[in-house]
Amino acid sequence: MPVTDAHRTIDAVWKLESAKIIAGLTRLVHDVGLAEELAQDALVAALEQWPESGVPDNPGAWLMAIAKRRAIDHIRRSQRLERKHEELAHELEHPPDSAQGSAQDSAQDDVLRLMFISCHPVLPTEERVALTLRLLGGLTAKEIARAFLVSEQRIAQRIAGAKRTLAEEQVPFELPAASELAERLSSVLEVVYLIFNEGYSATSGDDLMRPRLCHEALRLGRLLAELARQEAEVHGLVALMEIQVSRSPARTGPSGEPVQLHEQNRGRWDQLLIRRGFTAMLRARELGGGPGPYVLQAAIAVCHAQARTAEDTDWAQIAALYEALARLLPTSIVQLNRAVAVGMAHGPQAGLTLADSLTTEPALQSYHLLPSVRGDLLARLGRHEEARLEFQRAASLTGNIAERAFLNGRADELAVTGAPGITLAKAAQDFLRRDDLDAETIRSYGQTLRRLCLSLGDQLPLTSLTADQVARVFATSWGTAAAKTWNRHRSAVRSFGAWASVDDLAAGLDRRAETRPRTEPIGPAHLAVLWNRPDLPLRERTLWRLLHESAAGVTAVLSLNVEHLDLDDRRARAGGGTWVNWRAETARLLPRLVAGRTRGPLFLADRRPGPGRTPAPADLCPETGRRRLSYERAEYLFKQATKSLDPAGNGYTLRRLKPAPRMADQV
Amino acid sequence: MRYLMTTKPSDAVADENLYIEMGKFVEELTAAGVLLATGGLEPGGVRITSAGAEITVTDGPFAEAKEAVAGFALIEVRSKEEAIELARRFRKIVGDGESVVQQVFGP
Repeated sequence: MPVTDAHRTIDAVWKLESAKIIAGLTRLVHDVGLAEELAQDALVAALEQWPESGVPDNPGAWLMAIAKRRAIDHIRRSQRLERKHEELAHELEHPPDSAQGSAQDSAQDDVLRLMFISCHPVLPTEERVALTLRLLGGLTAKEIARAFLVSEQRIAQRIAGAKRTLAEEQVPFELPAASELAERLSSVLEVVYLIFNEGYSATSGDDLMRPRLCHEALRLGRLLAELARQEAEVHGLVALMEIQVSRSPARTGPSGEPVQLHEQNRGRWDQLLIRRGFTAMLRARELGGGPGPYVLQAAIAVCHAQARTAEDTDWAQIAALYEALARLLPTSIVQLNRAVAVGMAHGPQAGLTLADSLTTEPALQSYHLLPSVRGDLLARLGRHEEARLEFQRAASLTGNIAERAFLNGRADELAVTGAPGITLAKAAQDFLRRDDLDAETIRSYGQTLRRLCLSLGDQLPLTSLTADQVARVFATSWGTAAAKTWNRHRSAVRSFGAWASVDDLAAGLDRRAETRPRTEPIGPAHLAVLWNRPDLPLRERTLWRLLHESAAGVTAVLSLNVEHLDLDDRRARAGGGTWVNWRAETARLLPRLVAGRTRGPLFLADRRPGPGRTPAPADLCPETGRRRLSYERAEYLFKQATKSLDPAGNGYTLRRLKPAPRMADQV
Repeated sequence: MRYLMTTKPSDAVADENLYIEMGKFVEELTAAGVLLATGGLEPGGVRITSAGAEITVTDGPFAEAKEAVAGFALIEVRSKEEAIELARRFRKIVGDGESVVQQVFGP
C-alpha cells in the first residue's frame, strides 16, 4: 500500500476509534492528558507499521492493545500503582469477551465519561470546545484552528491548559451524581451546540473546515443521544440540530447570498434529516417532564419544518413557544426572535413594540439583526423612511459581505422621495476632517461619532438628529462607564453640535463628577468574625492581617520577598521602594509563615507551576519551587472566605481590608 | 459528506451468527451517528425505461440479476477513507461478495 494512502486510512481509523481508545485508557490511568499521549503513541506505531504490514483486521483493537501495553509500561516505570498493574496485566492476558453486552456498555459509558470530563464546568468554554473536538472528534489542533479561524498554537494552548486544569483539580473520570447531572449535562449540550453554531454561521467563502463543524456537532449529539437516552434535552438538541442542518441547501442563493427562512425553497430541505429530527423530538416527548430550552427550540424548528409553505407557518404556536423559551432563557436574542414571531402572529405593530423595548439592550447595540428586524416591521407598517434607515444601519453593522448587499438591497427598495439632506455620517466625516484638531482629539471624537452613526444610522438626516436620540445612545453605550469616559464623549458631542449648528445636542447629558469612589473598609464587626475563624490557613491569615495593619497596596504586599523583611523593626521594603509597616498580630504570624526560608516570595502559591507555565525567576521560590501567590488567586480566596459576611453576597475585595483613614490623615 | 454503499446479491447463506454480527454493526454505526439509512431490496423489482415519448414498464425478475442491488446503506462520514474503512468492516462480516461505495451529491 502506498504510504500516503496508508496514512489517510490511518487518519480515518483514528477519527473513528480515538474517542473509544482515549476513554478506555483514561479509565486505566485516571488522567486524560496521559491517556491521550498513550493513544498518540499507538497512532505513531500504526503510522510506522501499517504502510508495511497493511491495515490489521480489527484496527481499533490493534490500536487499543498497543496503547494498553504503553499504559502498563508507563505504570511499571512509575512503580506506584502496583495493584493496578496486576489488574491490568490480568485484563490483557484474559481480555473480556467483546461479544458480551456488558463490555460494550462499559466501553460506551467510558466515552460518555470522557464527554463529561472534556466538557467539565471547571474549564473555560473555549477550552471545553477545543478539548471535546480533540478527544471525541479525533480532530487535530490544526483542523480545529482552521475551523475556528485562530492559530494552531492557540488551540494547542487551550488543549494543554484544559488537560492541566483537569489534572490539577483531580477531576474524577466518572458519571456525574444524580444531584449534579442536570448542570453537568447542560455544560455538555452547550459545548455541542456551540460547535454546531460555529459551523452553521460559516458562509460559502469560508474554509470547508468550518461547515464541517456542524457535522462534527451532529455526530457528537447523536452519539450522546445513544449514551444518555433518558435525557429529554439531549434528544431536543439533536432534533434542533438535525432540522436546522436540513435547511442548509436552501439557506444560500446561487451567489452565496443568504435566503431567509420564509423565502427558502422548501423543496431543497433535506427530508431525511427532518425526519431524523422529528424522531428525536418524539423521543424527547416520550420522556416527558417540563420542556427545557433545547426541546422548546426544537419544537419551534419542528413548526417551521411542518409548514409546506411559508404562509402555512403556525406563527401563533411559534410565538407561544418563544414566550415559554424567554421565561427559561431570557436573553436578548431570544426576545428578538420572539418579536419576529409576534410580528407574524399578531401583526407588525405588536412585533415592533417588543422590538423597540430591545433598542436599549447593551448586548444588541452592534447586532445587525435588531435594526434588520425593526426595518422589516416598519416597512410592513408603511413607515418606509424609518425602515430604510434601519436597513442601512443593519448593513453597516454586519461583517458578512453577502448579507450587507442583501440589506442594502432592501433599503434601496424603499427608495426615498425628495432631495436628501446632509446625513449624519457625512457631517461626522466633514467634522473630523477639520484641520484645527490634533490627532489625539480626532481619534477621541471619532470614537464618539462612530458610535452615534452605528446606533442611529449613517443615513440619518442631520436635521432630524435630536438630543433625545443622543441621550439614548449615551445611556446604553456609556451609562455605566467611568465618569471621565462619559464626559469625554459628552464634550465630543457638544463640539460636534456647535460645529454643525444643531441645537444643543448634549442637552440630555449631564456632566458627571469625576471623583473616584472611595473603597468602603470592612466594618469592625465583620473583621472580628474574620479574625476569630479557627480554620484559616496561616498564609491567608498573615496576608489579611498584614494588609489591614499596614494599609499598604495589595500588589505591594504580594511583591514582598523573605529577604526584604525586617522582622525586628516590623517593616519591609516592597517593590517600587515603598515601606510596608506592620504591628503585633502580623509580627506574631510572620516567623511561622517564613518557616526558615531565607529568600524568595513571601506568599507562595499552593502548587508548583505546571510544565507549560514558567514564571519569571523573581516569582519563583528557590527553595520550594513554588511560584508567587497571584493577585487573582488571593482575591478569589478572600472573596470565597467573606461571601457569608458581605451583605451583597459577592465576598469582599482585598482592598477593603485597608482601614478607614483616621481624621488626622484627612486634614 | 454522504456515501451510498450498495451491495450485490451473493450465494452465501446467511446464518444466525451473521444476523447477530450485522445487528451489532448497525447498532454501533447508528450510535456513532454515521448510519443515516439502510435497507434490503427486493430482487428484481420493476423496470421503467423511456425512449422518445414512450415509457415502458417491465416487471422483473431480470436475466442479469447478478448486477442488481440487494441492499444499501447511506452513511455520513468525514472522508472517503472513512467510508472505505466502514465498507471493509461490513464485507468482513458478510463474507464473499461485492459492494460499491459512491459519494452522494446534493440534494
